Amino acid sequence: MQLPTVAEKAHIEDLRLGDVPMQQEVELVSIDLPMELAEPLLERGVLPGCRICPVQSSPGGDPVVSVDGSLLALRRETADCLCVRLVSSFQDVG
Amino acid sequence: MIALVGPPNSGKTTLFNRLTGLRQKVANYPGVTVEKHLGMVNLDDGRQVSLVDLPGVHGFSARTLDERVTRDVLEGKIEGMRSPDALILIVDVTRLEAQLMLVEPVLDMDLPTLLVLNMVDELEARGGSIDQEALAERLGVDVVRTSARTGRGVEEVLAYLRDLADGDTSVENIERELSNFAGSQPLPVIDAFAARRRLVRSVVQDAGFASPRPSRLTERLDSVFLHKVWGPTIFLAVVLLVFQSIFTWAVPLMDGIDWMVGTSGDWIAAALPDTWYRSLIVDGVWAGVGSVIIFLPQILVLFLFLGILEDSGYMARAAVIADRTMYRVGLQGRAFLPLLSGYACAVPAILAARTIEDERDRLATIFVTPFMTCSARLPVYAILIAAFIPNKPVLGPIMNQQAATLLGLYGLGVVAAIGTAFLLKRTLLKASPTSFLMELPPYRIPDPRTLLLRLLDRSKIFLRRAGRIIFAVTIVLWVLTQFPRTEGGPPDIEQSALGTIGHVIEPVIEPLGFDWRIGIGIVTSLAAREVIVGTLGTIYGVEEADEESFALQEILRRDLEPGAAIGLLVFFAFALQCMSTVAVMRRETAGWKWPALQFFYMLLLGYLGAFISFRIF
Repeated sequence: MQLPTVAEKAHIEDLRLGDVPMQQEVELVSIDLPMELAEPLLERGVLPGCRICPVQSSPGGDPVVSVDGSLLALRRETADCLCVRLVSSFQDVG
Repeated sequence: MIALVGPPNSGKTTLFNRLTGLRQKVANYPGVTVEKHLGMVNLDDGRQVSLVDLPGVHGFSARTLDERVTRDVLEGKIEGMRSPDALILIVDVTRLEAQLMLVEPVLDMDLPTLLVLNMVDELEARGGSIDQEALAERLGVDVVRTSARTGRGVEEVLAYLRDLADGDTSVENIERELSNFAGSQPLPVIDAFAARRRLVRSVVQDAGFASPRPSRLTERLDSVFLHKVWGPTIFLAVVLLVFQSIFTWAVPLMDGIDWMVGTSGDWIAAALPDTWYRSLIVDGVWAGVGSVIIFLPQILVLFLFLGILEDSGYMARAAVIADRTMYRVGLQGRAFLPLLSGYACAVPAILAARTIEDERDRLATIFVTPFMTCSARLPVYAILIAAFIPNKPVLGPIMNQQAATLLGLYGLGVVAAIGTAFLLKRTLLKASPTSFLMELPPYRIPDPRTLLLRLLDRSKIFLRRAGRIIFAVTIVLWVLTQFPRTEGGPPDIEQSALGTIGHVIEPVIEPLGFDWRIGIGIVTSLAAREVIVGTLGTIYGVEEADEESFALQEILRRDLEPGAAIGLLVFFAFALQCMSTVAVMRRETAGWKWPALQFFYMLLLGYLGAFISFRIF
């Protein structure tokens, strides 16, 4: 497996959960939040490597995502701190 | 003793109720106001097992009050409580992967454990499946499938409890594979969670878990309830419905209770000999108890509604809708439920704020909750408005000045709450931006048994908390009006101990346009706001004083300038005259600092508000 180039890496790190369109499943890469704020996410199984899919937008524009069959509502500020990458069909993750 | 553990919305309380029925009681854990639900399970051979229902938690990181209590109970650190002999871990099997994040920390307790896969009906209906035996083997614990709502599988839970009671602890001897994952050396938190997740993944895979299809019902309802237009519209409709229920539907019940207390008081008075204690029993004890019971219908109706909203899954959506607005003033979506409850009574509202994970958000929420116009303020508002505000139309036929004043007082509370929350979050509770995370459980039809049992709990707690204080105050008040004795009988009110207190504080309240009589009213209403109506009735010698009493209105108009009357209304809108709230705040914040700050802050606001009103009007 080839290491990603700097450009590719920057691209990967740039994609945030907040930018992902509805019904597009993505994989969580990293959580760019202080531990105190990340812990509630971790406890609910939102960990690097998990699959997340935005399924709904609240009237205030905050995302509702599906993780492991549970629905979680986040603030968009939080969603913007979750780095994700697209899951392509040939990539085997998890 | 056996402890029931599980994440929120896993059907934990429904199972608890199934197992214990009415053989349960609610108490508080020492020092904190987290409710301790303790029940007895009757086994078919006549033996009894005690079962404790722990708060719903996602983990034991002790970030929230609920998590701290759960951990302390499991570790046997609660005073006067043995550590449990066995655990029942209940999870919502339709969301098995997320819910099993609790399995590792629970099994780490090294206690005999029964894993209950609840809501198995729903799993099957949505095309999911699980190999129960494989899961049991993999985790080294007993596993049963239940549907606590319908009662399916509850027999098997009872059978497990019976085996435990027989001393059959074979479950403990099974070698657990888990130890491979959870080493005793502390891992960095994120790695610990990652390891926990890997474990859950492999466990779920080994157990042949097939996830259910997403719930169509939930998808459809969410597309309406979280819709850009319909979402907020339905939200407002629900809030209005809750208000409507508190203020119109509960009123006939309250009038009924009022009538019953009054009538029975008269019977008692007639039955007792005309001696000194007749007045104590009838005017003191009976009327005092009555003044508390009268709020019960309102509290019951409110909690019935909130219970339905919560158990159906709507409340989580309402919190999501409210979050954006709340966030702007420094609070968060979860504060919505306590603040709404605050319109009935601040005491249960403050308890409802326990679900707010962020400590600063929780403190800010419970600090501003008493600004919500609770029902105890209504009798006071009613009599002063009726006495001083003319019944002239303001907005054509829709609203008169009286209704506008009442609405204005509600608004005043909201403005004070917003301003205070804003101020707190920029000073004492200053924090880097917090996050808001809300799990949206699938929509479900609430279980009537669970709803009813909770209502029963609520009313008991309310009667105990509020009852004790108001009862005590009524008796003290009565005594203060009876002494010093003049010629063997009770003195004039002005000469009584109570009158003396009124005169002592008169200089302080004179700038507000209040005299010693109103002073006594304020002093007595420090215990509970509505007490002032009865007190003023006593002081002015008006019999049967209630908020509709014309005689009392007449005297008030003579004694109080209009500006001072509006000042008194503003004072009641702001000041924290409620000992029950102070007591609950002390327990919820584990100290006197916050209740003291809250009390004096609100008192100052009330004083200034009344002063300004008196000068303006």
